[in-house]
Amino acid sequence: MIKDPFGRRERKAERERKAFYDSLLNADRRTFLKLSGQAAALAVAGSAIAPHSFQLVELLKAAENETEPQVSFRFAYISDTHMFDKGMTHRFVKAALKAVQDVNALDPQPDFILFGGDLAQLGQPGELNLGKEILSELKAPVRMMVGEHDWFFDMGEKWQELFGKPTYSFDHQGAHFITLQSVHEKDFWTARKMTPMERMQTVAGLDNAVQSRFEVGEEQRKWLADDLAKVSKDTPIVVFSHSPLYKYYRNWNFWTDDAEQVQELLFPFKKVTVIHGHTHQLLTNHIRNIAFHGMLSTAWPWPYAPTGLPTITIQMDRADPFDQFDGCGDGAVEVRKDGEVNKNYNFWSRNPFKVSYEMVASGTPAKPGPSY
Amino acid sequence: MSRCFDALRTLFLVAMPCALVLFWGQAKLALQTAGEYALPLPSDVIPPAIPDDNPLTTAKVALGQKLYFDARLSADNTVSCATCHDPAKGFADGKPLAVGIGGKTGARNSPTVLNAAFNDLQFWDGRAATLEEQAKGPMVNPVEMGMASHDALVGKLQDISEYPPLFKQAFDSDRITIDNVARAIASYEPTVFSFSSPFDRFNAGDKTAMSESAQRGWELFNGKARCNNCHGYVASSPTFTDNKFHNIGVAMHAGNFAELARKAAQSPESTSDLAHSPGYSELGRFLVTKEPKDIGAFKTPGLRDVALTAPYMHDGSQRTLEEVIDFYDKGGEDNPYLDGGIRPLKLSAQEKADLVELLKALTSDDLKRFSKPNSQP
Amino acid sequence: MRQTLARRILIALSVVIAVAVTLGLARLTAHASSPSTAVSTKASQSKWRVVTACDQRKTVLVEGYPDNQPLPPTKARQVASLLTDLMQYCNEEVNARIASDEHIFLSVNGSAFVQYVPGRALPLLLVNGGKQFTQRDQAIWKAELTRMVDEGNKLFHSSKLGTNGISCDMCHPNAANTHPETYPKFQTQLKKVALLRDMINWCIENPLEGKTLADDDPQMKALEAYILSQRAGKTIEPGKH
Repeated sequence: MIKDPFGRRERKAERERKAFYDSLLNADRRTFLKLSGQAAALAVAGSAIAPHSFQLVELLKAAENETEPQVSFRFAYISDTHMFDKGMTHRFVKAALKAVQDVNALDPQPDFILFGGDLAQLGQPGELNLGKEILSELKAPVRMMVGEHDWFFDMGEKWQELFGKPTYSFDHQGAHFITLQSVHEKDFWTARKMTPMERMQTVAGLDNAVQSRFEVGEEQRKWLADDLAKVSKDTPIVVFSHSPLYKYYRNWNFWTDDAEQVQELLFPFKKVTVIHGHTHQLLTNHIRNIAFHGMLSTAWPWPYAPTGLPTITIQMDRADPFDQFDGCGDGAVEVRKDGEVNKNYNFWSRNPFKVSYEMVASGTPAKPGPSY
Repeated sequence: MSRCFDALRTLFLVAMPCALVLFWGQAKLALQTAGEYALPLPSDVIPPAIPDDNPLTTAKVALGQKLYFDARLSADNTVSCATCHDPAKGFADGKPLAVGIGGKTGARNSPTVLNAAFNDLQFWDGRAATLEEQAKGPMVNPVEMGMASHDALVGKLQDISEYPPLFKQAFDSDRITIDNVARAIASYEPTVFSFSSPFDRFNAGDKTAMSESAQRGWELFNGKARCNNCHGYVASSPTFTDNKFHNIGVAMHAGNFAELARKAAQSPESTSDLAHSPGYSELGRFLVTKEPKDIGAFKTPGLRDVALTAPYMHDGSQRTLEEVIDFYDKGGEDNPYLDGGIRPLKLSAQEKADLVELLKALTSDDLKRFSKPNSQP
Repeated sequence: MRQTLARRILIALSVVIAVAVTLGLARLTAHASSPSTAVSTKASQSKWRVVTACDQRKTVLVEGYPDNQPLPPTKARQVASLLTDLMQYCNEEVNARIASDEHIFLSVNGSAFVQYVPGRALPLLLVNGGKQFTQRDQAIWKAELTRMVDEGNKLFHSSKLGTNGISCDMCHPNAANTHPETYPKFQTQLKKVALLRDMINWCIENPLEGKTLADDDPQMKALEAYILSQRAGKTIEPGKH
């Protein structure tokens, strides 16, 4: 038998933890957020190494002596939180807090964190404020990206007040990052005399055919062309976009109407990766030299569309609706020294999964998943 | 005319018993194995998985029962299987953690042997795939039965004059092997089943078999209290377990799951040794699969006779059924690997009491048949 | 005001004429021992031109034209078009009449005459004592069903079934992943064999944190109607997981 490695220190940690969780039950929102930020710290309980499941996978792999192209840097992502402003015990809020804990517990910390869009569910000021408060608990710097659920209540007014311009670019460690607002829609609401809430709820319905298809739009494509003109063709490009920037399934707006035009602007660059939200599933695509990776949602998973699924996607199997975290999660992106990207899916309730650039480039069709 | 009558009468006399036997056989007996011993299970129930190399026979069952109750299988002759899995205590031991030879305490609560044959895997972390494999574990565990090795145990039994002839009868060889010892015990254990309780009679149509409180509890069990997802009752597998592993947060006090997990993954110690070490033990199923999603996950136990097998959970940390219900009602214990199906239930005091009544109604009527055999030393 | 009145009188008159014609025709058939014979007799009396299709089972009687002369081209084309339509009745015996006011009536296998408007659906013959279902009937069926499916659509997309703002379409856009065509089957979340409505109720209670609906609740029926309509054409495979 092995001696108890923690002993008295652990029993003290247990008492602290019990007291902490008891206090959570009575906390108001501000206190709650402060406390839940401490939760990650409590979980560490004096150890030098932080607990985290991604971390575990990496170290296990190291133990297996797996050789991989060296990673230049990492960023984490949290996406599609879809929060209601219905109190701190709402399952979507709990999930967002869980994601924040996950990312805060990473050791070493990622260079930055991408928020992938759809912070709010109905674009309400209360929801967006709540989201900003929760994300402010993150230790590493956060780059924000807007989704349609954030935008269409007030056409992005509150979002821009809280987070600034939705379209921007920056350089980091030799790579050029571009964030787009790729969920513009042609006006479908004025002729129908919709109220802002009606417009928002129309857009919120995935299968609602009244809304227009997403697009980047001419003005933004011009901006993109100008921005790319200053970048050399060898520079690795990473594009953040809420809609996929390709055409997957029109009925559910898993779609960008001017995808081809955006892709044309990107093709001349040697290494291009698109990281997108909106689809709430493990999703991988490859069009010429562009790799596309979908981010998981923290709130709920979506089924794969009946047609249009890229053949190289290794499908996750169906989530169990009894488990509110199944099929959800967060993740990280490794930007490699060769300029390509590996995508880590940190699934909750499932084992983590990595989609390496080699898997994407091989173009081998994945085994077909269940057909639903 | 009379000859015709005679023939008919003979035919009748022969046919009737045959028909009776056939009818009886269909209604009551399910022939489980190629062996001659048939478990008298209810007809709906899927029989336990009996390995091909160990079909049930009367001789093996009797030998297994004798071994089960024999404390001479331990190093100091004080601990038998029945010490921690005592028929008088619901085939458990009423203690939070198992206590073996020399009063040594183990890392986990003793699970019940009742209906254990219907578990897909044995032990709280599922590290044994069969009853045979499970039986071998405690014998050489220094804090359980404490034998120096399986060979030592076999040598000891060989020298006890009663045993070789019994082994000869059961296994056609009086040269005792540890595999045959395990096979015998694993033949007795499937007979330790219990499917006859007030709940079963209620379920079969007798509305007076369970109190109204228990009946309300049954509605809650399958509804608001969300018990049935892991502890669901199905007629073909009525043990109230899904045979899967879930983290409900009981192991939270171990804290640093990820660091523990990493150490365990790289440790040269065996799964069984890690499972018995107080810190690592809390990693549960992860010790077997090394999969991050299994960190802190333990096997869903069955609920039959649960009122008899306090204290509860893999570490015996919950003393009463009321404590258990309260634990679930608050949403378990939060931790990074908490099963996403666990959430606060918002049960009223009456609802909690009803659930406890339902759990009590799962106590079998016929446990008396498992008393210790008189012939035991 | 006067215009509307005039229109109303016109409509009333047309109805009266139509009814009279129908009754008249009905009386004609009632008297007949076999439709064709009666018609032939009547035809020579009230000038009905008889045209029979090649299968000898479809007949068109055209009022107001002598039996022994060819029809004018437009009329002939109308008759030919009508006969082609009637071929959809396959082996049934159909007797159609084109009255002088251009109204068309038909009788299938000797049953009562009903009106037929070319371009609209043919009246149905059901094995129900030869009763026919009219275009109105078919319109009623469609309208009632559409109303229930639309009600279900609204509920499916509504957050009112639950208490936490979640609606069914969040996980099931276009009822994807509901696969009603695989019920009854053992539903692992329910730990028993379930029908579609059992699972709907489970979802309302669990992910949506709402109150379950009674089995015979109109809302439950509407939800089922919507879900099934989205999955039309799928093969029924009870027990498929």
